[in-house]
Amino acid sequence: MTTFFVVATAAKLVLFLVGIITCGALMVWVERRMSAMIQDRIGPVRANAGPFRLWGLVHIAADGLKMMIKEDFIPRRADKLLHALAPMLAIFPVLVTFAVVPFGPTIDFGHLGSVNHLGPLFEGRWATTLQVAQVDVGLLFVLAIAGTGVVGAVIAGAASDNRYSLLGSLRAASQLVSYEVTLGLSLVGCVLVFGTLRLEDMVLWQHHHTWGVVVQPLGFVLFLAAAIAESKRTPFDLPEGESEIVAGYFVEYSGMKFAAFYLGELMEIGVLACFLAVFFFGGWDVPFLRADGIHLSLPMLGAKFWAMPHWSVVLLQLGAFGLKVCGLIFLQMAIRWTLPRMRYDQLMELGWKAILPLSLANVAVTAVVLHALR
Amino acid sequence: MEEYREEELTLPAEPMLLHMGPSHPAMHGTVRCVVKLDGETVVGSDVQIGYLHRGFEKECEWGTWTQVFPYTDRLNYASPLLNNIGYALAVEKLLGLQVPARCQYIRVILGELARICDHSVCSAAMAMELGAFTVFLYLVKAREWIFDILEEVTGARVTHAFCRIGGLRWDLPENFADRVRSVLPKSLEAIHECEQLLLRNRIFMDRTMGVGTITPERALAWGWTGPCLRSTGVAYDVRKAHPYLVYEDLDFDIPVGSQGDNYDRFVCRLEEIRQSARIVMQALDKLPDGPIAVPDDTGILLPQKLETYTTIERTIQHFKIIMEGIQVPPGEVYSYSEAANGELGFYLVSNGSGKPWKCRVRPPCFANVQALSELTRGRLLPDIIPTFGSINMIGGECDR
Amino acid sequence: MPYVVKRPERDIWEQSYIPETVRGMGVTLRHFFRNVIGRRDTVTILYPEVQRPYPPRFRGLHRLTQRDDGSPRCTACMCCQTACPAECIHIVAGSYPDGHPLAFVEKYPAEFWIDELRCVFCGLCVEACPCDAIRMDTGLHARPVEARPHLMYERNLLLSITDAKGDVLTANPRKK
Ligand code: SF4
Ligand code: SF4
Repeated sequence: MTTFFVVATAAKLVLFLVGIITCGALMVWVERRMSAMIQDRIGPVRANAGPFRLWGLVHIAADGLKMMIKEDFIPRRADKLLHALAPMLAIFPVLVTFAVVPFGPTIDFGHLGSVNHLGPLFEGRWATTLQVAQVDVGLLFVLAIAGTGVVGAVIAGAASDNRYSLLGSLRAASQLVSYEVTLGLSLVGCVLVFGTLRLEDMVLWQHHHTWGVVVQPLGFVLFLAAAIAESKRTPFDLPEGESEIVAGYFVEYSGMKFAAFYLGELMEIGVLACFLAVFFFGGWDVPFLRADGIHLSLPMLGAKFWAMPHWSVVLLQLGAFGLKVCGLIFLQMAIRWTLPRMRYDQLMELGWKAILPLSLANVAVTAVVLHALR
Repeated sequence: MEEYREEELTLPAEPMLLHMGPSHPAMHGTVRCVVKLDGETVVGSDVQIGYLHRGFEKECEWGTWTQVFPYTDRLNYASPLLNNIGYALAVEKLLGLQVPARCQYIRVILGELARICDHSVCSAAMAMELGAFTVFLYLVKAREWIFDILEEVTGARVTHAFCRIGGLRWDLPENFADRVRSVLPKSLEAIHECEQLLLRNRIFMDRTMGVGTITPERALAWGWTGPCLRSTGVAYDVRKAHPYLVYEDLDFDIPVGSQGDNYDRFVCRLEEIRQSARIVMQALDKLPDGPIAVPDDTGILLPQKLETYTTIERTIQHFKIIMEGIQVPPGEVYSYSEAANGELGFYLVSNGSGKPWKCRVRPPCFANVQALSELTRGRLLPDIIPTFGSINMIGGECDR
Repeated sequence: MPYVVKRPERDIWEQSYIPETVRGMGVTLRHFFRNVIGRRDTVTILYPEVQRPYPPRFRGLHRLTQRDDGSPRCTACMCCQTACPAECIHIVAGSYPDGHPLAFVEKYPAEFWIDELRCVFCGLCVEACPCDAIRMDTGLHARPVEARPHLMYERNLLLSITDAKGDVLTANPRKK
């Protein structure tokens, strides 16, 4: 392990962590402004920094401040330890799963200016992948960690000594456990096609061939549905269901603990958008852009090639990833502000009787087709 | 192998009592449901009303006949004008009074606008409680535009206090017809958008179809009226069955449902909005000129202001009406009209003293909300929400 | 004529969720892009900075109208106090002494209180006034105050409030 490796990893860790949390806070703003624009409202633009309103961006700071100085309310008969532990458990998996997201290709600090002929992923003295941890079982790691998300919700509900919370956490438990299954199964098709569990290699496959959504359209839809269910947002926001069980499992939380749940949920949208981009939209891949420059082969013009320096390629690809993630966040938000909420039993039926069989069928069909093509 | 009975295999469990409301987002702060839950299945529920009881009927006995108007605003606060009209009609029936044609038309127009507001806010609340927040705001937007018009006419957005016994407070403002003709289509467009968002959406259909179903017989047995009753297929509408004002001269249809479930109630309301808009448009076209109130020498309406200021006879007449109240002959009367939630009845008793001796209201949603417990028994907890929403319990009217 | 409302069929279009979701998103996103890119269609306003003008008939806070000489037009006849369903008007009558230029009207309100917190803004007092002395055409709504007494309006305050156009006079033509 070289010093460079340690430094690079630490730097990436800090950068991404800061990035994610900022992103989560930004998401609060996106959520509010976007819903306002959809609903013909102005939205919150009250908070200001002097004369600047910044389209309501200052609200993030104001909210943060408010959350910090709010009373941290714990119900009298609640389990104090578990009550405090739950928000941390809820936010933990979100932060950890970010570690394996490949944000970009390998960047070589030694050869930033030259044209890269080695391909997107390579080893080198000053090279590092734009990904915190390369895990061989990347996908399994993601699913395993995401699976622990339910623990926070269940503990929060059980520790709060509130019947609404209890109902919420029961709902959360059954919903998350059911959709965990489909979440994994809907990706098996991808795994079969890409032939790897490493996320960076999945992107590489898509970089060389085509985007996952083209080969796995059904898988995309199923994963999207399961992902929204995992992040507990409308139409699958039953564990919260504010008009039924008030706010579900976190009804008894306030202050920063509440913020942890809230931010966790919003960051989860970001994580899911990242994974959707990685599995189905080619991650950092930009069409026609290879590691050494743009390769265009159009039927009329013939093959064309423009060489580009390494730094610009990496920058473009990072930007592309960001753009895809933003687009997918937008999609999730638009769905959230369009659809009503499902009912508990209907959600279960959808999970077990529709999405699960369909993802199994997807796996079977993919396997057969792959075998036939072999 | 030993035989086990089903009960022995399950752990002993007792139902959980959950107090929904009065401070619960779906209960509008005005009602409490104590539900007995087995898991999420409602084993039984106890609907407790009365959180908004303000003693309306007793209050009415304290003031003059005119002073009741501000109270009626607060019965069904989603459509105050319809209550105004209902009460005015009741007193006029007791007086044996027929208001002039223009007044009748204006009452119809304003009443139907109020009905549109009421139906849209009811549908909006129901949609919001199902999680469709966008629909809520679109419908509220549609209502808001109509509120603007009502404010221009009556001087207040909600507490209009606009009707008077034997007439109205004011005539319509000058540009009223144009305003309505331009705003109503906009509101209907917003309502159409909501239909696009919900009516064929499977999630919405799953949540509402077959939920809260009631048969016409049960509905009649509970005393249901209004859109809730019509959703079961019974085409009973006071405006058609016992026409009052000028509803006979106007062409409109009654939308009825077929299943009597939440979906039918929701769609019936939206359809009624269309019909109400039709009525408004026709009435605007037919609106006759003329006085908006009975002649002021009948001792019912306050005399013309300018004459009061300048002539002593009128001033005396004015004082008599203000100080003693309108003199209503002794007797009793039951008068009913089609309010937004159904048949709104006023049972009035006068002893000739210038004050109501008794003013009893038959609130439509009191009858409707009684059935809530029956409608939700054996269903899931989330089913209470759309069912309660589609019954449209309005605290002010139900509890009085 | 009664007609039965439509209930949609449940075929693959509805049952598969997706087409209707896409259609719904068409509606919501149309609003989104119209508000973000195109002309703002927002119906809410930034309240204290932007204010919706109240219509002329708007029933706002009360005012007492003045005679040409600035004295109250009110003759303390108690009509408004009687007509008020909220019992929020309190008047103490005083008499003009003999020889006073206004002695011909005999009475004036020595005290005139309106509890704007109790008031339900029904307008019955305005209707009840036989000399157009009380009006609600100020175009002001009851604003939040820090203490209850701040919304107990007394005579001189009521007299000083103008109508929406800044006028203190009245339509009552009677000078005597
Ligand atoms: S507006 Fe109504 S409540 Fe207010 S003072 Fe006048 S009569 Fe009384
Ligand atoms: S304001 Fe009008 S009604 Fe009231 S006491 Fe004065 S003159 Fe009489």
